[in-house]
Amino acid sequence: MWYDLLTSVFRGLVNTVLLLALAPLCEGIVRKLTARIQSRQGPPIRQAYYDILKLLGKEDIEVGESPVFQRLAAALGLASVLCIAWLIPMGVGIPFSGGDVILLVYLLALGAVVGVLAGIASGTTYSMLGVSREVMMLITLEPLLIIALLVAAVNGGSMRLEPVFSGVVFGDVTFSYAGLIMLLMVLAAFQAYVKRVPFDIAEAETEIMEGALMEYSGPKLALFKYAQMCRLVVYSGVFVALFVPWGNELMFPLGWLLFWLKVAVLVVLVTVLAASHARYRIDQAVRYFLVMVAVSFGALVLAALGY
Amino acid sequence: MFILHLLNRLQERFGDGISRVDMTSDERLYLYVKPAVLRNVCVFLFDTMSARYAVGIGADDTPYSGKYQVAHNFAFDGKNLFCSVITYVDGTAPEVDSISDRIPAANWSEREFYDLVGVRAAGHPFPKRLILPDGWPDGEHPLRKDVPWNHVPENFHSGREYEFERLPEGCVAVPFGPFHPTLDEPAHFRLYVEGERIAGCEYRGFMAHRGIEKLAESVLTYNEIPMMAERICGICGCVHNVAYAQAVEEAAALSPTKRAEYIRTIMLEVERLHSHLLWVGLACHIAGFDTLFMQSFRIREPVMRIAEKITGNRKTYALCVIGGVRWNLDEDACTGLRRVIDNLEDEWRGVVAAVSKDKNIQRRTRDVGVASPGLVKRMGLLGPVARASGICIDARRDHPYAAYDEVEFDVIVRESCDVWARILVRALEVFESIRIIRQCLSKMPDGPIAAEITDELPSARTGISSVEAPRGEAHHFVITGEDNKPRRWRVRAPTYQNLQGIPYMIKDQTLSDMTLTLGSIDPCFSCTDRVETIDIRSCSHRVYSGRELESLVRRKDK
Repeated sequence: MWYDLLTSVFRGLVNTVLLLALAPLCEGIVRKLTARIQSRQGPPIRQAYYDILKLLGKEDIEVGESPVFQRLAAALGLASVLCIAWLIPMGVGIPFSGGDVILLVYLLALGAVVGVLAGIASGTTYSMLGVSREVMMLITLEPLLIIALLVAAVNGGSMRLEPVFSGVVFGDVTFSYAGLIMLLMVLAAFQAYVKRVPFDIAEAETEIMEGALMEYSGPKLALFKYAQMCRLVVYSGVFVALFVPWGNELMFPLGWLLFWLKVAVLVVLVTVLAASHARYRIDQAVRYFLVMVAVSFGALVLAALGY
Repeated sequence: MFILHLLNRLQERFGDGISRVDMTSDERLYLYVKPAVLRNVCVFLFDTMSARYAVGIGADDTPYSGKYQVAHNFAFDGKNLFCSVITYVDGTAPEVDSISDRIPAANWSEREFYDLVGVRAAGHPFPKRLILPDGWPDGEHPLRKDVPWNHVPENFHSGREYEFERLPEGCVAVPFGPFHPTLDEPAHFRLYVEGERIAGCEYRGFMAHRGIEKLAESVLTYNEIPMMAERICGICGCVHNVAYAQAVEEAAALSPTKRAEYIRTIMLEVERLHSHLLWVGLACHIAGFDTLFMQSFRIREPVMRIAEKITGNRKTYALCVIGGVRWNLDEDACTGLRRVIDNLEDEWRGVVAAVSKDKNIQRRTRDVGVASPGLVKRMGLLGPVARASGICIDARRDHPYAAYDEVEFDVIVRESCDVWARILVRALEVFESIRIIRQCLSKMPDGPIAAEITDELPSARTGISSVEAPRGEAHHFVITGEDNKPRRWRVRAPTYQNLQGIPYMIKDQTLSDMTLTLGSIDPCFSCTDRVETIDIRSCSHRVYSGRELESLVRRKDK
């Protein structure tokens, strides 16, 4: 009993520390690769670490409607992402095995809600525009991931995370087409979950000047940026755990390395897609996601019928 | 002959209203009319004869005739003709009839000549201050001859603010500018927004005035002005440099040497190359497509380098003097230029092929920022904006200057009226520029690079010159004067007209399309902000504290 709890906490801490340590590295890879695609030299890979440190060291300026909520939003943003690291197997099994799909969905949604909170708390015209876009994205995006998790839950017959993250999305005994459909859907919406072009609509620097984040600077901005970097890794982790979990049970360094390799592949994919697209308009994006939500509901029905 | 036919029609119709006619060539008609018929003549030219409105000019002629001068310039693009309708008004509060209700393209010009010269356009639909700073006292008009160039008004109201129009019902005001990542220069649009939809807007620009026209007619001499003209714009400066020189040459009936004309043509096209590549990059950046932004800039870089090699500068070429050019183009430079455009052509072909197949870019730019042919005509829109709306105008072909009548090129036209069409027009014009440079390099004759001018230039002559800038036609109007300097020099950059079309192009669009639409005309605010004596002292005294700035930003609109 005590031993189990200690292992859980230990694994969770390892995941958290690894996430914090490697997320800026992934960001560095994204920047370097983007620069290469654009025929640029690009910043050194460790630049993202410097950026975080630099921002953390700056004066904490309070501007905006309600500074308390702004601080809260900044902390909550990073905290919610770090909590997810306790619920997904990052190469060493799921640290906190008591969680279920519903808890995970809540935590994932919290990340987006924090953006809304951050925008409302600063209260300027442009951040409100960012908020309205963020909410539109949230409403259409969240169902996709929820349905994908539900399909796995239906196929496996359990809401607990361990069975859900065992590849059961593609069927327990027989092959499930629903799982394949959801793989395609989540992959197609992946840029939006990690807030990259073509779906970085809620931030859109050239349109609404970073939207909800417009008023933030210094340490608070550092936390938001850090959360954003971690988000890329965490969502990749969820994706890997749900759709390509094979190899996790391998011996320690192997399974662990394999996990991070898969994450790296996703990071590269995200970078290449971001570098080769223009940003969509919010109405175009919402229409695109609504079609996908409709298809996903079809997949859920299929899963319920056993296909 | 169209010019005679036009003159006959005008004389038939207005008879005594026309007091004098100057036909300096088959391409220029200066029509001096009585103030009473000014409006009717203009409306006749615009509506019945389908002329394009080019610009309105106000000038203070009081030291010579005791009167103020107002001119409206019209272009007949298919007929290679510019017609200037000129009138003189006097009195302490001079007035002419406004034409803006019938010719909306004249809106800014009429407000400008009230602000600067003090000739009121009676009956103007929107007679608000356009150019002078908000605190500038009423009744002082800096372009009048009795106002010195370094005049500082005593009663500058530093606290006075611009009064915006009332907000429409159910809208919020989104302040766009003066500082925004997609605006490279200060300008302010107050957008009336419902959700994401733009219901209307009000523009307040002219925030960085430099007094260029005033300096030209008071401090500088004919051959110093080209250097200043070039600094009107940081992208298409050479255009203003050439346009000014041509206007003076025309007024003084001089012609530049053949070789100079070729060098001018080559440099104008080099400038167009770099400007188009820059613009395509910026448009992609606004749409969030940074890869193409970076690639265009990489492809553009050799053009800047060769310009530096030829002229000593990446951007300001210091090209023209009256009657020719300042420097020669040697064999070395020509070889280098040939190599650059060869490489450029290859690389750009690849980019254009990739872009024209890209569905993602098209989805973002099709049916965005639509300028109907009607709007183009009404607002006098120019350049790639007009050509993307199926209006085939190009000053290089319609009003040939320099060596453009000796080279072959196509005018690129697209019909879909949207941002996508503007991208295509500009992308394809790059190839035409390359074609023109190649022909010029092989045809360029030897000889002197500048005509020798020994006599003083005649005074009180008028010259019009039109140069196709990358963004559209730049139009210069010069009245020559005494003491080796012009009496009046009016610059109308293409953005001056194109920007007036923006409120119509962004109406009922979403906010994300607004930046793209604004970007699609390639607005050059420094080009429009060239006039006005800036009052440095009073401006610098207006320092906002952090608190004040904050409250300005945060102030909720009632």
